[in-house]
Amino acid sequence: MKSNDIMMITASGADIEVNRRELAARLGVVRNYSDDLIESCMKRLEKIIQYKCAYIRCNVDMSEENICDFRFMRVESRNLYRNLSGCSEAFVMAMTCGIAVDRELAKLKITSLAEYFVTDGIASAAIDSFADYAVKKMRGELKTPPRFSPGYGDFSLSFQVPLLERLNAHGLLGINLDSAYLMTPMKSITAVMGIKK
Amino acid sequence: MKKIIELVKEKRIFFDGGTGTVLQSMGLAAGKSPELWNLTDPEKIISLHNMYFDAGANIVKTNTFGVNKDKFTNFKELIREGIRCAKVAAQGREDAYVAYDMGPTGQLLEPLGPLKFEDAVELFAENVRAAADCGADLILIETMNDSYETKAAVIAAKENSDLPVFVTNVYDESGKLMTGADPAAMIAMLEGLRVDALGMNCSLGPDMMLKIIGEFRNHSSLPVIVNPNAGLPVVRDGQTVYTVGADEFSDYMVKLAQGGATILGGCCGTTPEFIAATVNKTNTLPYSVPSFKNETVVSSYTHAVFIDEDPILIGERINPTGKPKLKEALRSGDMNYILNEGIRQTDAGCHILDVNVGLPEIDETEMMKRCISALQAVTDLPLQIDSTKTETLEGAMRMYNGKPLVNSVNGTEESMKNVLPLVQKYGGGLIALTIDEGGIPETAEGRAKVAEKIISRASEYGIDKKEIVVDPLALTVSSNPESAVVTLESIRLIRKLGVKTSLGISNISFGLPQRDLITSTFYANALQTGLNCAIMNPFSEAMMNVYFAFRALNRLDTGCTDYITYASSTGEKTTVKTQDTKEETLHTAIVKGLKDSAALLTEKLIGNTQPLEIIDGQIIPALNEIGLAFEQKKAYLPQLLMSADAASAAFEVVKRSLPASQSDSSRAIVLATVQGDIHDIGKNIVKVLMESYGFTVYDLGRDVPPERIRDCALEHNCKLVGLSALMTTTVPAMAETIKLLNETDPDIKTVVGGAVLNQEYADMIGADHYGKDAMDSVRYAQEFYNC
Repeated sequence: MKSNDIMMITASGADIEVNRRELAARLGVVRNYSDDLIESCMKRLEKIIQYKCAYIRCNVDMSEENICDFRFMRVESRNLYRNLSGCSEAFVMAMTCGIAVDRELAKLKITSLAEYFVTDGIASAAIDSFADYAVKKMRGELKTPPRFSPGYGDFSLSFQVPLLERLNAHGLLGINLDSAYLMTPMKSITAVMGIKK
Repeated sequence: MKKIIELVKEKRIFFDGGTGTVLQSMGLAAGKSPELWNLTDPEKIISLHNMYFDAGANIVKTNTFGVNKDKFTNFKELIREGIRCAKVAAQGREDAYVAYDMGPTGQLLEPLGPLKFEDAVELFAENVRAAADCGADLILIETMNDSYETKAAVIAAKENSDLPVFVTNVYDESGKLMTGADPAAMIAMLEGLRVDALGMNCSLGPDMMLKIIGEFRNHSSLPVIVNPNAGLPVVRDGQTVYTVGADEFSDYMVKLAQGGATILGGCCGTTPEFIAATVNKTNTLPYSVPSFKNETVVSSYTHAVFIDEDPILIGERINPTGKPKLKEALRSGDMNYILNEGIRQTDAGCHILDVNVGLPEIDETEMMKRCISALQAVTDLPLQIDSTKTETLEGAMRMYNGKPLVNSVNGTEESMKNVLPLVQKYGGGLIALTIDEGGIPETAEGRAKVAEKIISRASEYGIDKKEIVVDPLALTVSSNPESAVVTLESIRLIRKLGVKTSLGISNISFGLPQRDLITSTFYANALQTGLNCAIMNPFSEAMMNVYFAFRALNRLDTGCTDYITYASSTGEKTTVKTQDTKEETLHTAIVKGLKDSAALLTEKLIGNTQPLEIIDGQIIPALNEIGLAFEQKKAYLPQLLMSADAASAAFEVVKRSLPASQSDSSRAIVLATVQGDIHDIGKNIVKVLMESYGFTVYDLGRDVPPERIRDCALEHNCKLVGLSALMTTTVPAMAETIKLLNETDPDIKTVVGGAVLNQEYADMIGADHYGKDAMDSVRYAQEFYNC
């Protein structure tokens, strides 16, 4: 039925500090800028956000030039190959802020564009912050290159399909993919991260 | 052999456990589809089932969990062989059953995801048709983490086979499905759809399920299935293991059985050993099936609303009767207006929202479905589907996510014949109006008789009276002085029939001055008489006063906490009003982005200032000020947007006071995110800014085909089109749209924007202007219209 080697990391909105530098960049404001709007959207989002990450640790065969073979997916990508150089294992992960965030955004789109825009920016910064948190937990004492996502460079977005399937991301995280390989919940991330030998 | 639903009434029965763990021990590689073994290694699948039957399971799940037409071209063969393997194992055994196992599609349904509800039904229906004649004893719909998808699967199962349908959902650590439903909501919906057993599977493990088994015990009248995982997977010494062993697992299963679980089994990580231990420890426990729960309940995709002694407020605002703005919104398809009404009523404290979109000139069924889908994306309240047309009720009840309240049936033969079968099939609370062929009876006794007739006819369709909420009708007291008294007496009599009651309250005061006075006093009387639901205006302070005061006085509001919160918030509003108007001008309110103040101040101005003067003298200069600050990087986008929100609120007020002929639709723009692209944040920012500057915006949404954009421009004779794209992959769609527009009418000008665009790209695809940000697009539009 489902693979049973999948690990989970979860966190609540309050557990994760949203990276302010990332947030400022997304909102187009200077660092350390804040106002009532941003703070109130942040507070509301914190209550509904539910972070979940599913990941596996698996072997990756790099013996062929520009091919990263994870067994469940064989990726031809110069950029990923370079990112994973010196690795024979990798973490493969998917994570999300949960569908409640999409619902909140759908509602704000109707009631207040300012709140919608700000909340969207916070949620994007939030999933990124959670990714940093999750990766740190996985990594422990291991040495790793930075995480690398489908869509970066020539690592095709289409690899979201086998990756999400392998992680049972629909069942465990509620992540769904449309025909253009975009994920719902919108604030979701997939990535691989090599483990240095 | 006995039918499975008969056997459940007599004794505890057991499901098998996990498939993956066992098959992987037989050599299945991690990440490979086990279903393929139905064809390549059937003897292993048969042996898996045999192991579970030997362990004491009564029902084995076929190895077909992930099979559907989208994933496997040979899905029919996989299903047929999967069932065959299980039947081979069941042959010759006593009390051994085969459940055709159907898992989720892996796609999220609309409105949040891409999959259309009817497409989901069809996808499941293909499976069920393939399975129907292969000899399974029941259908198990399992591991569903979305209520809407669950509903699609159940409808497909029911419409394409006569087999019993069992359903189990996945609840997470918060006790809810991934998309938000709690057990009470799922029980309400699934009982309404007439499944045969329901419960939970997969998830985190038996300990977590113990926390929510009580909800099933308290609300389910159907057998409750519990198929947990063996705890959480962890890696120990490089090997993946589950945290809960067979002994501990079965101890939990004893507690679950004592807590109300009827049918027991396992999911991921469990093996025949787990099932054997569970059977051994629970077989001798006292056994009973759940009792009938006399609860009147409706649900949304998150929660259930119980109609009982605590009064229920049903928001009446989405109903075009007497509401010209809503009529206009329905005619023009302005979904935002309708959704705003939904959100405002939700925020005002309603428990259920009535949705009535009946206008002679529109396709009511299509509009109702559109409204329900859109409303269910922005409010989690259960909806009351309100129509006099059978096909509208059916269309809406089918695609509604949850168990709706249905408004209404009445005592005429025709109405009962049309509406009762719908409730029988889809489930729903049912508002029953006490009117029949003879009209509305003048006496309370007469109305109670009509209620009795409806209750009795409903029972012929297997609809229990707990589903019926009788509305004895409040008629205008100004034309009939007996009206209020008779209605109140009717409530008293109808309550004695053991059903709940509802009233459309506002009607009582029709034709009288200061209507709120009469309406709210009547509401207080009706509550005192035992009224359960009121279809009412939640923006009426008088009505809300009665509601909160009644609850506080009748032990329905512990510590009067709700009343105190309500009372202090109404006090606050008054203070804000006076403060705002003293300190702000409309200009400063817009610059500061104060939405509520901007609306209030505009209302004050309307009395003594010409509408157009407010626009040109206050709103536009204020927007220009903040717009300039933004362009000079002295203000940021969030601030600009808050000002736009405030300006839009002011505009709404101005528009209301403008005669229709004067509202200016000559300055218009068609906006769309191009085909293939679903990112619309940039387009929405442009929209709000354009609107706040007084442009009429025809917003076509996202993922819009070129032809639709052309048609809209032609229909409104609009010569300005704004296109947005975020992904490089959709720029060709933008080029194609521009080409089509140019071919259609060379006078049409296009402004393009979005993260991937720049001046060079814009030139390349033939756009007339590259809007580098939202303000820039507004400036272009102003230039275009010379304003």
